[in-house]
Amino acid sequence: MTSNHPKPSPQMRALVDRYLRGELSRRDFLRTVVAVGGLTAVQAILAACAPAAPPSAGGQTGAAPAAETAAGSAPEPKMLIYAASQDIPTIDPSDRTDYSIGAVSRQLYDRLFRFEGGWPQPIEPCICESYEGSDDATEWTFHLTDKAVFHNGDPVTAEAVVYSYQRTLRFQKQRSSLIAPFLDEGGIEAVDDRTVRMVLKSPFGDFPRLLAFHEQPIVNPRQVKEHEQGGDEGAAWLTENEAGSGPFVIKEWEPGNRYVLEAVPDYWQGWPGESRLAGFVWRIIRETADRRIALLAGEVDMADTISTDDIDIIANTPGYHVEENFGLLAGYVKMNNQLEPTSDLHFRKFIAYAMDYEALVNVLGGHAKLMTGPIPEGVPYQDPNVQPQYRHDLEKAKEHLDQTPWKDGGIELDYVYVTGLDFEEQLGLILLEQLGKFNIKVNMVPKVWPDMVAACGQPETGPHLINIFVDSGPIPYNWFVEQWYSKSWDRDTGGSFQTCDFYKNPEVDTLVETLRGAVDPAEQERIVKELQQIIMEEIPGLPVYVLPTIIGMSDNVKGYVFYGDISVDFWRLWLADA
Amino acid sequence: MQLRYYILRRVLLIIPVLVGLSIVTFTVARLVPGDPVKLAAGPRASPEEIQRLREEFGLDKPLVVQYLEYMRGVLQGDLGRSLMNGHPVTTDLRRYFPATLELVLVSMAIAVLLGIPGAVIAAVYRDRWPDQVSRVLALGSISMPIFWLAIMLQLIFAQHLRVLPVSGRFDARAPYPETITGLLTLDTLLQGDWTSFRIALRHLLLPAICQSLLALALTTRFLRSDILDVLQRDFVRMARANGIPERIILFKYVLKNAMIATVSMLGFLFGYSLGGSVLIETVFDWPGIGLYAMNSALTLDFQPIMGITLFVGLLFTLVNLGTDLFYGVLDPRIRYGR
Repeated sequence: MTSNHPKPSPQMRALVDRYLRGELSRRDFLRTVVAVGGLTAVQAILAACAPAAPPSAGGQTGAAPAAETAAGSAPEPKMLIYAASQDIPTIDPSDRTDYSIGAVSRQLYDRLFRFEGGWPQPIEPCICESYEGSDDATEWTFHLTDKAVFHNGDPVTAEAVVYSYQRTLRFQKQRSSLIAPFLDEGGIEAVDDRTVRMVLKSPFGDFPRLLAFHEQPIVNPRQVKEHEQGGDEGAAWLTENEAGSGPFVIKEWEPGNRYVLEAVPDYWQGWPGESRLAGFVWRIIRETADRRIALLAGEVDMADTISTDDIDIIANTPGYHVEENFGLLAGYVKMNNQLEPTSDLHFRKFIAYAMDYEALVNVLGGHAKLMTGPIPEGVPYQDPNVQPQYRHDLEKAKEHLDQTPWKDGGIELDYVYVTGLDFEEQLGLILLEQLGKFNIKVNMVPKVWPDMVAACGQPETGPHLINIFVDSGPIPYNWFVEQWYSKSWDRDTGGSFQTCDFYKNPEVDTLVETLRGAVDPAEQERIVKELQQIIMEEIPGLPVYVLPTIIGMSDNVKGYVFYGDISVDFWRLWLADA
Repeated sequence: MQLRYYILRRVLLIIPVLVGLSIVTFTVARLVPGDPVKLAAGPRASPEEIQRLREEFGLDKPLVVQYLEYMRGVLQGDLGRSLMNGHPVTTDLRRYFPATLELVLVSMAIAVLLGIPGAVIAAVYRDRWPDQVSRVLALGSISMPIFWLAIMLQLIFAQHLRVLPVSGRFDARAPYPETITGLLTLDTLLQGDWTSFRIALRHLLLPAICQSLLALALTTRFLRSDILDVLQRDFVRMARANGIPERIILFKYVLKNAMIATVSMLGFLFGYSLGGSVLIETVFDWPGIGLYAMNSALTLDFQPIMGITLFVGLLFTLVNLGTDLFYGVLDPRIRYGR
């Protein structure tokens, strides 16, 4: 505990006494004060250059009281420092869904299901213990646990679940986008204290998986109402405060700087590891190199979004290691199907065969995995043997180019990528080199992200080629509806960056709509495989590579589980004794 | 006209400056390509969700109406809300400005405390080795790209020597100090919390040194030149002839006369730095308004961009006014309003 009052140094105190006794003139007193102050400042600066002493027991590394620690030889709970690349703009459970928001919301709030059990992602129960769906997949009933309690002691009831979903649907912000096509406010009701029923607008067989992916944080309606301002349903308060039942609570919230969460020792689900964390600090370090430096200097225990260049440096440093896992972050080169020459099927196939995929993997030091179809491995029913597979083959490329009006080349294509992303630039340079062999010039067009999103709105403004990344989660329907369903872009408000190939195929549209209502897993598998087959045959864009999630950490960090996402589940972690 | 009328006139002149600034920023922010609403709504947003967000922020109205409504809010102290996180811009400015102010104050203090003695030494030892060293250091400081130097300092002091933190404003392992002014070094001093003061100072050193270099180099070279100029004047010869010690001539008479141009330059640099420390704040993850401005610009978040521009513009004009008034302290012959 620090004092709130200034404590003058003994020299300063003596000076003041002498001045008050009249032993010093005002001028001499001021001169001496300046001299002593200057000396103190110099001493402070010199002392500051020394490494900091270990934080005091009252600091945030402070272990939990002995009574709280696990029995036996389990390490005492400690504070973990996590270096994140992204700030947490808000934690309102009905607002945005950035990875940083999701990562911290999972620690503060519970949801119906959890997804952090490993890879590929199994649906695990959280507040929901069991569920059942009607035969036509329009009505779903969820049975809740009676053990869950909010941090203020209130029980987590069906009413809270209903309120949380309805609030999100009412707000119509980013978090609602995933469920709004299936559910409206009136379709959710509390049957009793422990049962929630959801009636969908139209059938959806993968609904529980969608809810697990959506991760609606369950908020305490009573706390929200207590903090309501002008009918905002607690929106202003919930931006920086929580009303949840998760394994952590907020201790400090310093926007743009750092966020400190503290464990709830008697969390209703318990703690899955040998020990647990006392809490964690989400420290923002935006520069990749700085995260590596901070990790190896011991300033942080874990760092996300490690550069592939830094993997070996970290892995070769004793006491540290890197977790490199491939999830669902898939990189595509989208081709504008409504604009010549990429509207020509043979021209798209020409590019697909001209692309040197292996060269890209080599450029990335092997830290990329080539895709084997339009959706990445890990998505249910992904078919690694779907045909045709496109690999670098200049003869086949030439065969297809010869079937287009541009067989002699002499044309230019724009390749758009995000300014400053080296791996996207490298991909463009490979295309530039390979297409140059056919007298086709590739213009490298770097753009900042907002400009890219704007360009992707309509086919008229969409570039010939654009490098984008998509992660639609472990729900096959999402991958197809978000990228190749024509109604996702052929509308007044245009499309998103995911639909930037502006693909239109009535057969695919129908299959996507059928997939949505398919309940039988065999039927789902058949449709998903058929869709993959069509997309590979029509090749609206190149499915190129999956990038790994790379997290560097101290060897003392235990309990890490990869579950397909960049986010870390702090609930499962603990720190071993150094 | 008395001094207070002069100040009043200068303060009133700030109004058209800010109105002009707001029109330019508003126009530029709307003309750049990109749709911030779509960006904020996310890739899965339905047309209805996008439209609702557009209406919520009044972006569906004609540009002139949008501008007038924005300015009406400004007059009531409301700088709008961020599209990306919904925070009121005034809240964010209050939150981020102290970090920038602390960085700029300390960097200017470094520039003044090292620059003035450096200039005096360079002038006294004109064309001898201290002057040459000062010249090389000053030119080197100006020539080096500031972000490159920042990264080099991080590599040396954080990675290799491990004596200073790589970035941030405070140690993540230590309890965050209680804030009074928001200037952590000052707050910890006021509370007599030396441990936290030391931590705050360690985090401040590298960014402040990088931030100070331009002002330090300019102060050293400009002031040296002005001191040499003043040393040639008649009153200095007269003082020497009267046997006044050289130390008193230099520090009491010459320096005071030579400082006017330097004060003007430092005032300008101070105002400029309050809105222009984007590079340093980005490299060092310093949570100030420079970083806030950059993040807002990258997401085309209109209202924070407008708010930051107006706020920095206001600060800049006030600092310039303060600098002009300070001339009178340095040279009693300068009197405004007569």
